[in-house]
Amino acid sequence: MKSLFRIGQVALAECAGAVHSRRALVILVLYLLSSVFCMVGTISILGKMESELANVLQLPESQRTGVVSVTLWKSKPFQRMVKASLKNNLVYDDIVGRHPAELVYAWFAFLCAPLLAVLVAGNRVADDLRSGAVRYALVRVTRLEWTLGKYAGQVLMVALALAASAIGAWLVAMFRLSGVGMFDLLPAMFGWGFRAGLYALAWLGLALGVSHLTRSGSRATALGLMAIAACAIWPFGLRCWAEYAEWPWLLHFDVLVPSSAELALWRRSFVPLFTGGVHLFTLGMCYLMLGHAVFNRRDA
Amino acid sequence: MIAVALATRNLVKRYGSRVALDNCTLVVPRGAMMGLVGPNGAGKTTWMMAVAGFLRVSSGTIDLLGRGPFDATVHSGRFAILPQDSALPLEAHPGDLLYRYARMQGLSPEAARRSTTEMLAAVNLADRAKSSIRSLSHGMRMRVRLAQCFLGSPEVVLLDEPLNGLDPVEADRIRQFLRRRRGRQTIIVSSHNLNDIETLCTHVAFVEKGRVTHTSTLEAITHATHRVTYTLAAEPMDRAALAATVPGATFVWTEATHALVCTLDNSNDDVGTVNRKLLPALLAQTDVLAISSGQTLEEAYLQSERRN
Repeated sequence: MKSLFRIGQVALAECAGAVHSRRALVILVLYLLSSVFCMVGTISILGKMESELANVLQLPESQRTGVVSVTLWKSKPFQRMVKASLKNNLVYDDIVGRHPAELVYAWFAFLCAPLLAVLVAGNRVADDLRSGAVRYALVRVTRLEWTLGKYAGQVLMVALALAASAIGAWLVAMFRLSGVGMFDLLPAMFGWGFRAGLYALAWLGLALGVSHLTRSGSRATALGLMAIAACAIWPFGLRCWAEYAEWPWLLHFDVLVPSSAELALWRRSFVPLFTGGVHLFTLGMCYLMLGHAVFNRRDA
Repeated sequence: MIAVALATRNLVKRYGSRVALDNCTLVVPRGAMMGLVGPNGAGKTTWMMAVAGFLRVSSGTIDLLGRGPFDATVHSGRFAILPQDSALPLEAHPGDLLYRYARMQGLSPEAARRSTTEMLAAVNLADRAKSSIRSLSHGMRMRVRLAQCFLGSPEVVLLDEPLNGLDPVEADRIRQFLRRRRGRQTIIVSSHNLNDIETLCTHVAFVEKGRVTHTSTLEAITHATHRVTYTLAAEPMDRAALAATVPGATFVWTEATHALVCTLDNSNDDVGTVNRKLLPALLAQTDVLAISSGQTLEEAYLQSERRN
């Protein structure tokens, strides 16, 4: 219990530090703006497509965007097209009934979660190691408690960013799309934010784990970005290698990168969401503990 | 209660082929205020970092408060350090930061708030509790770093160059603050300012090339109890008369400083008694301009260096 308490105190100190730090705030605001612009941009494109469609079909143009898209989304041929491109019937079944605006936000949140994690957390450990600030904490908490506290603090920061972006996306959808009631999409947006948060757990572990390896904040961020790239390449590399060497068992190593659990988070039911969350949290902890193991063996 | 607050035995720390600590053995009694004195690179900072668990030592043992080497689960709140060249998080506010540190070491919210307020007042920064560390001057940051050491009154405190960068008024305030803690906490101070060590410490250890070459009480090191120096207007010619007043004492005259050093190695008298006996005999021959007991720490240190 004492350990949990101390981890909590490190996490709160981490949050306070991040809030006071302009860098973290700027990243949070940028993320919120990105989410808003993504929604605005997508809705504008939808609007243009809808006007074009109305023109071609010589139908009266709708005053607000979304009417045609929602109709199109509900049409069987379009659903068949989506199903073919998704190549995952379970995910298709779960997302087919959802509003397109939700899916746009979900796509954005999942796409940007790794970047958000690395930009918010990538330098936090390395900077403390370089400046020596870590020493003031290490006479009060163990190295493991400090690492876990840092992680917990960053989880809170990312949760804050995702919550803010979900609200931003909801506001844009509410004002720019037709047929959307005031609070219709809010729970769904928060739901996707929560799922993206689960996805970010692994990326945060990766970003902080990498941050334990160096004493330079900018190098840690660069290493984090390289790690994202490596994780993106990993499944393709595995597939190529497995085909080339005729070792199909190699494909099982796909589970070592967060993207392997991403689709589970798009599911509606609890079980895949839970197992996906556990998978991602475990991955995050593994990355974090690898970094911690290096830190634990060296001088602070 | 254990009599020894901190003991390191045969501590070795190597950086490749360079030996930073070479069988460093030092025992610090509980309640002592010990000064570590030595040249740059002698190993004082390395020793402190090793005791705090920041450095992985190559060999040797550390016993902190009778509970083995530093372990945050055991020693959190009982041990603190002012590490050299370790910056506080620049974006933090002193009040928040100290409160958070106090909470980390297990103080209740109320005790943490009280301790934070006390410490900020002690280092004269109560009015800057809500400023960011970034906006504080070098000296102010040093005072915040000092304040974090005394949150919750830990039993053992290591201070590496605690008065570095402080202006004379603030340095004096911190000296007084440390003097008030003498006997209540075990404090180990590393400083190149021997005058500070002399005015603050009860014990002194000389550190040289990664090992402790000499350690004792300040009185013993400066011979404060068996050496008196008289600065005189002229050399006293009748040494026999002086020797007769304090049997067993030896007298050495230094012309350059006009100092007569009386050493009491074979005398049972204390400094006060010697003064009472010797002064009339001295005044009969010349004027006495000043009296001091023992050597200065600087003299004792330089003498020890020359011997080594």
